[in-house]
Amino acid sequence: MAPMALSSQPWVEKYRPKQVKDVAHQDEVVRVLTNTLETANCPHMLFYGPPGTGKTTTALAIAHQLFGPELYKSRVLELNASDDRGINVVRTKIKDFAAVAVGSGQRQGYPCPPYKIIILDEADSMTEDAQNALRRTMETYSKVTRFFFICNYISRIIEPLASRCAKFRFKPLSDEIMSSRILHICREEGLDLDSEALSTLGSIAQGDLRRAITYLQSAARLFGSSISSKDLISVSGVIPEEVVQAFLAACKSNDFDLADKEVGSIIADGYPVSQMLSQLLEVIVSANDISDEQKARICKRLGEADKCLVDGADEYLQLLNVASHTMRAFSNMPEEFQFE
Amino acid sequence: MLWVDKYRPRTLDKIIVHDEIAQNLKKLVSEQDCPHLLFYGPPGSGKKTLIMALLKQMFGPGAEKVKLENKPWKIDAGSRTIELELTTLSSTHHIELNPSDAGFQDRYIVQEIIKDMAKIRPLDAKGKKGFKVLLLNQVDKLSREAQHSLRRTMEKYSASCRLILCCNSSSRVTEAIRSRCLNVRVNAPTHEQIVKVLEFIAKKESLQLPPGFAARIASQSNRNLRRAILSFETCRVQQYPFTANQAISPLDWEQYVSEIASDIMKEQSPKRLFLVRGKLYELLVNCIPPEIILKKLLSELLKKLDFELKHEVCHWAAYYEHKMRMGQKAIFHIEAFVAKFMSIYKSFLIATFG
Amino acid sequence: MRKRRPAVVLLSSSEEEEGEENEPLKPRSSRSAIAPRKRSRAGASRKASSVSHPKPRRSSRGVKAVKIKIDSGLADFCEGLEDFHMAPENTLSGLQSKEGIQLWVDKYKPHTLEELAVHKKKVEEVKKWIEDRVKAPKEDFGGNRTLLITGKTGVGKSAAIHVIASQIGAVLCEWTTPTPTLWQEHMHNSNLGLRYMSKLDEFENFVEKSRKYSLLHMPNSEGSRKPVILLIDDLPTINGRAALVRLTKCLTALTHSTQVATIVLLTEYCKTESADSPTHHYEELESSLCRVGASKVTFNPITVNSIKRTLFKICQQEGHDVTADLINYIAKSSGGDIRHAITSLQYCCLRPEKCFSWQVSACISSKLESNDSTPVSISSKKEGEDAYDALPLSIGRDETLTLYHALGKFLHNKREITDQSALGSDTILLKDSFLRNPLKMDAPEKILSQANAQGRSITDFLHENVLDFISDEAIDDAWLVISYLCEADCLLANVVCSTYLQTDGIAQSIASSIAARGVLFGNSHPSPSRWHTIRGPKLWQIEQSMGLNKNQMQKESFQRYPYNSSEVSTEYRPRMKWLSSQTSHDAVAQQNQVLYPMKADDHTDSVSSDGLTEESEDEIEDC
Repeated sequence: MAPMALSSQPWVEKYRPKQVKDVAHQDEVVRVLTNTLETANCPHMLFYGPPGTGKTTTALAIAHQLFGPELYKSRVLELNASDDRGINVVRTKIKDFAAVAVGSGQRQGYPCPPYKIIILDEADSMTEDAQNALRRTMETYSKVTRFFFICNYISRIIEPLASRCAKFRFKPLSDEIMSSRILHICREEGLDLDSEALSTLGSIAQGDLRRAITYLQSAARLFGSSISSKDLISVSGVIPEEVVQAFLAACKSNDFDLADKEVGSIIADGYPVSQMLSQLLEVIVSANDISDEQKARICKRLGEADKCLVDGADEYLQLLNVASHTMRAFSNMPEEFQFE
Repeated sequence: MLWVDKYRPRTLDKIIVHDEIAQNLKKLVSEQDCPHLLFYGPPGSGKKTLIMALLKQMFGPGAEKVKLENKPWKIDAGSRTIELELTTLSSTHHIELNPSDAGFQDRYIVQEIIKDMAKIRPLDAKGKKGFKVLLLNQVDKLSREAQHSLRRTMEKYSASCRLILCCNSSSRVTEAIRSRCLNVRVNAPTHEQIVKVLEFIAKKESLQLPPGFAARIASQSNRNLRRAILSFETCRVQQYPFTANQAISPLDWEQYVSEIASDIMKEQSPKRLFLVRGKLYELLVNCIPPEIILKKLLSELLKKLDFELKHEVCHWAAYYEHKMRMGQKAIFHIEAFVAKFMSIYKSFLIATFG
Repeated sequence: MRKRRPAVVLLSSSEEEEGEENEPLKPRSSRSAIAPRKRSRAGASRKASSVSHPKPRRSSRGVKAVKIKIDSGLADFCEGLEDFHMAPENTLSGLQSKEGIQLWVDKYKPHTLEELAVHKKKVEEVKKWIEDRVKAPKEDFGGNRTLLITGKTGVGKSAAIHVIASQIGAVLCEWTTPTPTLWQEHMHNSNLGLRYMSKLDEFENFVEKSRKYSLLHMPNSEGSRKPVILLIDDLPTINGRAALVRLTKCLTALTHSTQVATIVLLTEYCKTESADSPTHHYEELESSLCRVGASKVTFNPITVNSIKRTLFKICQQEGHDVTADLINYIAKSSGGDIRHAITSLQYCCLRPEKCFSWQVSACISSKLESNDSTPVSISSKKEGEDAYDALPLSIGRDETLTLYHALGKFLHNKREITDQSALGSDTILLKDSFLRNPLKMDAPEKILSQANAQGRSITDFLHENVLDFISDEAIDDAWLVISYLCEADCLLANVVCSTYLQTDGIAQSIASSIAARGVLFGNSHPSPSRWHTIRGPKLWQIEQSMGLNKNQMQKESFQRYPYNSSEVSTEYRPRMKWLSSQTSHDAVAQQNQVLYPMKADDHTDSVSSDGLTEESEDEIEDC
């Protein structure tokens, strides 16, 4: 057993677009950036948007296209959340890298502009202190260094940083684009994916292409080349729709013991409750037969339960509590308890 | 040897309950590589059995030759050196440990052991450097920091080691780890599957199984196969030949909890609360995990309650279980739940019967 | 400012006094780091600080009553945070060096049995014991020739013995400890351990000699000479196990072989909860002496009335006109320590014209160690006569509260009985369910800091005992109280995680404050006052045996390979227990017996019996 055979290379990496123009579905972004490539001049950039929409891909592609494989190592510094990015790293590692001056000079058809690029992936998980420290570095070395920030939530980037950057918002991918990418990979890998499975994949990935590809690869590993929608669901950890519906039905029945039983079986089947909560949230929010007040009551409880789970509370009790409150909301029982 | 151990399937092929998962796992490791794996599912569903069979599939019988080691670790954690002792179970191909035993120093342990493991890499059949498997139990009990550092080590040492993680609930495992592992959900066996296993054991032991008896054991087991087999064996010792309506003795601590529940229902006063506290202490001394006591107590109380009270009681149970996690001494919180229940129940009684 | 000056002078005792007054104020935070010898100085300057800046504190008095309550609570709270060390230190030393004045304590030493303020019965008891032994030296008292007298400081132990001895005409052969070194000082000074040992050596020599002496001299001293009583006043300070063992051995030997009546005086210091304090050793010593057959008499603190009587007598003889209120106050605040009461009186009479202001500063000075110059005592001074009521009873003496005292206060939850409607319009309107009568005690934080209690132990103790104090009807109260304890527990849980942080102390104090206040607030229907023992937390034993079991189970869980410890405890063990009890022929059972030596029944037994041993004999102070 070889440690890392080629087949185990994550498909996410394998099928990552190498060129900016190949980045799926982000037309405006691609247009602006292609322009940048032509002039070989670019500002600091901030890419934000939901996960799996091509932010990292874009940043890497630009870097590659600007410098080519040879200079890439010396000109580009990639840091993501799994690297230590405390304030010390910002003060030392980033600063050292940023401070080195570089010359220009074209090579093998790459523009090779006279600056370096620092890509900070998942920048929203950096502490505020670290971000503040970055601000100085950015100013000081802006002549020789460009920063690319990548984050999911722009609100978590401090304003001074955000205002120094050109901001690009990445939209969630549409189903068609996603399907076409997936089908492309299936063709390459020789997978057999029926249309039901394809649409399931689309819905569980929720516009996150990376997630879709990861699921696809996991399913392919576990179940071989012929993948059904059930396989995808079991790999993704998503709870089948009918389980969620059964839970809601039990809540609507206003029968506590039935709900208790339903909760028990969800736990016994090993479904992660945090996943259950987020799926419930979706169903509840989009349901038509639930009043706004009911929705509010249920959602409040969902949020509380989620927090408790993060703190390590017991899954069964939290889900049962959610069920109980949902039931009370459905039957419009008062929120206060009678015997308190 | 107990039946649970005696009839534990040793290879992936022999697995009855999760045969589908077993076959998939087989396919997975028969290929060139093996990704990191995360097994999750309720207790008694067969995670460990699957993992052990999987290890055997990967490494052959060598994986079964395990030795118990109590190894002291000296870890340099920046400003200070941490010394702790940790019990590990290891073969030439894998190491198993409960990182949560290390308490709040778990993150150092995880890093250090993986580093240590990476140094010595066994050779595989073709003379190439192979990898070792690190089996981590109860990863859901790892602290956030430890999980975070686990994620980094997973990437860093991916050439030399594979992780197999095992936990009860994947909710408590961070997304970052989950997304780097192949997730395997091991659901608890259904009643029918448990019956099937019991019948299989009965046949092997050449026991006469009256109709419906296995089903009764299964329904009492709460979909926990281990428990079903244990109580099956208890019944065998208790009385053989079996009769269809033979009593299946409950676990002593469960019986004790239901006694506590009826104590609570009978009288609601500080004095009674004190009595209940004494009984709770006894359960705690025997290392029954507090959250399990609380859950059992809740289910016993729910059995005896009217509809309207059930909501209220389950709300408080969830509330105090959460508090218990945040706090330090479980007894405070269980007791607070009992007190709250008494208070609610008393005012319910007054409202209903005056 | 001017008014209080005398207090400073009085306190600072030596020639340094001028310099001290000008000494720059020491920052409070550094206080705990100051070596003990510097304590009194730091204390003085501290007091000076509180004296010289009374203004800001006083200004808060204009606001609503509720506001003040909160303010003072806060101030208490802050002091509680700072207040880490409270060493019992002799604040009277300053006075003793004052030349020209004979101490009243010496002057009015009791000379007759009647003058003794000690309870008559106790005196009789001791007297009879001594007389028996002195009069019939040859008689065998079952080897019982040792009397152990215990009691707090200043309850008249030695005075009683001296008076009795002179009454029956016996000679006292004494050994008194050299000046004791402070515990803290010892902690700071590493080589002091030797000195302790040398004291101990001294003591051993003495005991050895006295044994020989008595053996040699007793036979012929009979009749012709006065009978001899061996008095051992306060044992040498001991630290560490080894010293304790030596001392115990020495004393036991003495008890066994002594031919003369031997009296050992043991001073009870404040009992603290920490197990390693010297106090603990004394308790052990006491019990081991009792075991080898010494009789034991405990002197209780002297009652307020007899102190008052004594004080009045002294006043008459000295010709001072002191108000009854003041005497009453001194007596009350002395905490049963007559020596302290007399000393206080002497202070008072030095400047009778400034009695009041003096009084308050006396409180301050005597409370230096426990940091008690709180706004409560300062502000109460302005209210004149009412001050006596407002002044808490415990502050008159240089005394830390015992943990049990503090617990007693919280648990008994004494409150003023006031009519809610009479409070007037300036109170904040609260729902009825939140209204409580005012507390008949200091701010809980202050009591906590006096008791020097750690958050964890306070919470555990309260948890253990509080249910006894809740009326049997009030299960709602029980819930409320316990829910507050839960909150305290959650806070303390974070403390454990952040042991290296400085916030540790704050979280601790807040937790204990929540626990104490929660108990006070929640218990709105205290059960009618009864005599309760305060138990040590059973939880501690439970945790200990739980830890043992857990370790064992962890080992087992690896032996029984695929199980983790919670599975072993919930599923595996109960079944195994059951299986083993049913079958003895089964191989399983045999294996089982090796694996499970401890049955559940054993645990419960050991737990319940252990639970009782920790019970304290401390009576809860009913005040």
